[in-house]
Amino acid sequence: MTEKKLEDIIPEALVIGGGIAGMQAALEIADKGFKTYLVEKTPSVGGRMSQLDKTFPTLDCAACTITPKMVEVGNHPNIELLTYSEIKSIEKIGDNFKAVINKKPRYVDAKKCTGCGSCAEACVLKNRIPNEFDENKGKRAAAYVPFPQAVPLKYTIDPERCLTITKGKCGKNPKCKEACKPEAIDFSQKEESLEVKVGAVIIATGYDLFDAKQKPELGYGKYENVITGLEFERLVSSSGPTKGEIIINGKKPKNIVFIQCVGSRDHSVGNEYCSRVCCMYTAKQAHLIKEKIPDAKVTICYIDIRAFGKGFEEFYERVQKEGVIYRRGLPSEIYKKGEKLVVKAEDTLANEIYEEEADLVVLATGIMPRKDSKDISSMLGLSHTPDKFYAEKDPQDIINTNIDGVYLAGCCQGPKDIPDAVAQASGAAALASKRISKGKRL
Amino acid sequence: MKKQTKIGFYICHCGTNIAAKVDVKLVAEHAKKILGVTVAKDYQYMCSDPGQDMIKKDIKELSLERIVIAACSPRMHELTFRKAVNQAGLNPYLLEIVNVREQCSWVHEDKTKATEKAKELVTASIARAKLLHPLKEDTMDVTPSALVIGGGIAGIESALDIAESGFKTYLVEKTDNLGGNVAKLNKTFTNLNDYSIILKKRIECLKANKNVELYLNSEVESVEGSLGNFKILIYQEGKKHEINSGVIIIATGYDLFDAKQKPELGYGKYNNVITSMDLEEKLSKDNLEINGKIPKKIFFLQCVGSRDHSVGNEYCSRVCCITSAKQAMQLKEKIPEADISINYIDVRAFGKGFEEFYEKAQKKGIIYRRGLISEVNRKKDRLVIKAEDTLSGEIYEEEADMVVLATGMVPKKGSEKLKDILKLQKSSDGFYAEAHPKLKPLDTSLDGIYLAGCCQGPKDIADSVAQAHGAASRALTYLFKGQVKTDPVVSEVDSTMCAGCDLCSKVCEYGALKINDYEKKMIVNTALCKGCGACNAACPSSAISLKHYTTEQVMSQVKELSSPEKE
Repeated sequence: MTEKKLEDIIPEALVIGGGIAGMQAALEIADKGFKTYLVEKTPSVGGRMSQLDKTFPTLDCAACTITPKMVEVGNHPNIELLTYSEIKSIEKIGDNFKAVINKKPRYVDAKKCTGCGSCAEACVLKNRIPNEFDENKGKRAAAYVPFPQAVPLKYTIDPERCLTITKGKCGKNPKCKEACKPEAIDFSQKEESLEVKVGAVIIATGYDLFDAKQKPELGYGKYENVITGLEFERLVSSSGPTKGEIIINGKKPKNIVFIQCVGSRDHSVGNEYCSRVCCMYTAKQAHLIKEKIPDAKVTICYIDIRAFGKGFEEFYERVQKEGVIYRRGLPSEIYKKGEKLVVKAEDTLANEIYEEEADLVVLATGIMPRKDSKDISSMLGLSHTPDKFYAEKDPQDIINTNIDGVYLAGCCQGPKDIPDAVAQASGAAALASKRISKGKRL
Repeated sequence: MKKQTKIGFYICHCGTNIAAKVDVKLVAEHAKKILGVTVAKDYQYMCSDPGQDMIKKDIKELSLERIVIAACSPRMHELTFRKAVNQAGLNPYLLEIVNVREQCSWVHEDKTKATEKAKELVTASIARAKLLHPLKEDTMDVTPSALVIGGGIAGIESALDIAESGFKTYLVEKTDNLGGNVAKLNKTFTNLNDYSIILKKRIECLKANKNVELYLNSEVESVEGSLGNFKILIYQEGKKHEINSGVIIIATGYDLFDAKQKPELGYGKYNNVITSMDLEEKLSKDNLEINGKIPKKIFFLQCVGSRDHSVGNEYCSRVCCITSAKQAMQLKEKIPEADISINYIDVRAFGKGFEEFYEKAQKKGIIYRRGLISEVNRKKDRLVIKAEDTLSGEIYEEEADMVVLATGMVPKKGSEKLKDILKLQKSSDGFYAEAHPKLKPLDTSLDGIYLAGCCQGPKDIADSVAQAHGAASRALTYLFKGQVKTDPVVSEVDSTMCAGCDLCSKVCEYGALKINDYEKKMIVNTALCKGCGACNAACPSSAISLKHYTTEQVMSQVKELSSPEKE
């Protein structure tokens, strides 16, 4: 490191991704007094964690722990929060980075919007559009906030669904516009772009979930009582579409089977790796079923139980004591028999092939790299590991990358749980702050 | 007669979160009738900018002296509203939040009853609001230096981050060299790196950094003070050093489980039963001979001292599965004809590249057998292991030349002493407890003291290093800021009432109370006090009270709630 060169480093940072890792990293840099841009693709910060019901192994409510952090990000004087925005280009120039950020039009003037929800209430498509936040299990309007605690609490008009935008006409006059007292609706908004120059970049773009339809033998997408782990989170969440009631086909399921490693540890779909969180989130979900439907029979089909983190083994033992049945060996097939599902599997401990009838099957789908993760890496020249996640500098140094000044935080580097993502994000903030403080301090 | 305090009351709809179950207009009307309430309003989203602006405007135009807001939990927006009233010129502690969301609308079905409850809560809070006093937030300078305890890889990385950011860093290490347990490892998973090269470079960086002051063969003897200003006494080979630091990072590492606690496995009895750490040393020395012979049949046994109630360790040690996979492959490389098995319960190959590594081990001919070894006995110069294969259900006995015990991690000896010195907390597994298992994995319950590495729980090098950088970030925030705000909601002692009985200090989790030796009265260290109120309850003569939650203030609220409604 040559001190002279580093004096030119701009004491500002860019964090890409507004999930728990990105928020943590941004807050920690901003708290140290450095200006931080936080860019989030969707209309609100919060990411995957905000979709979760309770978190393992302490059963803390995810929303209750993450919302204060979201509010803090929204209010921080050193954070310029750019939601509903995307990185259009990013390049390293000398020791600094130049990024162009596209701010998509919300068709709502954020300065005027009070978040009252009158527009969504008035929208003619109210309750007709699947809500992504609820994994499409709930419905929203074309004017929407992803969830009531969104930050910023500003409405967005869905350009792909809104009739005024797609058809050029919505009745005589758009109902949302009539309903909005502060006159915040503005269909003339255009995309804006913003150029920023920073001394450090933290990538915290998160993950996609494995698409369970790639395993047709499990019946996902064919039988509606085969759902994914994240769909289960929305189903069991008190803020979800069923207000936390576990209802399948109008009834409380009595026999539930969980299947681990869907899309993980599976060469047939090209994912050799373990997704690190599924064993524990399944154990937690099994516990939540036992809590809400005490007489339910809950079976978990697994290969190895990877209860490795602090308090995990203890939790795994706890759910077994609560009556959750663990059977080693993964199902080969799920088919429908009347209203019920039949799960066919081999118990590799008892050495028997068995069939279990189920009202509900939950697939513990694994963590995948973001579909568009190559966009940013190719602009920056950032490497990927064979599992297609972003590559860390070496296996013992998971924050640094092959580019000085670019750091990784959270699941974009590989699957991990919340505390590991938070610790890594704080670490990335330390390295970024150290770098951008050089010019000033030494 | 005393002039009536002018109160502004505001109730939030929170979209429909509150308004769906609480008739907010009725509650506002109800509040309006209470003596002192000058204005009572309801609004869609009180926390939004227009909502806050409305309150600010009213404070100025109506000269309001207290603000009562019925909304969500104060944990959500108390700070937001404190800031807002402060901007309008009112002391932020003259604000009272009534939680009518989490504690009312969200938990009730019947709108009439929920509205009645909201009214009662509001009445009680208005009574309390009248008795609130302005409080002052102070700022305190932060000593621009850090203490890092422990010179393993976690301590080294934390210390480097802080020193390289321009701050004085004291690193205290118990032994005579840096590097900790990592220095004893031969190669790391999954890249089979010779980590000693990296470690050496890091130690050189540390030694070359002018901001680092290294104390080897040293221990922390005592710590006084709090975030911003810790006074630390270091004991080094008969000498005492006093240093000051603004923040502390604990990176004291782990001990290995003592395999002698499982006598059935023969460790310490048979010299061809060794631990993983013993094997690391053999690999580093490139001397694999045991009893004068190269071992040809080798068993690895997982979970020795982990996931084992019989030794009191319920937890998993997180690194042993992959350590054994690595060692088995290293042995296979050096002794290609060796027959190597790993006896396990679950293979926990969870980290990046771990599963791939585990598969590679199997492809190289390492045999994984599910089920642990129950007994190891000697048969002439060989060993006989007894195990159950839980997949086939059969119990088997086999001869072996060497058995490697994958011993788990246990809390460091001496961690109890440091816990007492710093007043830390431990989790049920005996490791230091983090402040919050999800969102504060690096903090302790004490401001300014952070955790890095295995002292918080077992983890591998990658996770320890990430955590070490993270702990440095937590600490650096205060060093960069240079100042901390002190919370005015702390206990205070009425020395005319205090009998000096010392009961309160025994219930204080934070060590904030101390008897003044001269006057024999209790003194509150306001920097340490968290305002929990435990001392208030313990004091037999009501000499301690908590500011902002005085007996008078709380009782006024209780009185309203317990008396029948008088309109």
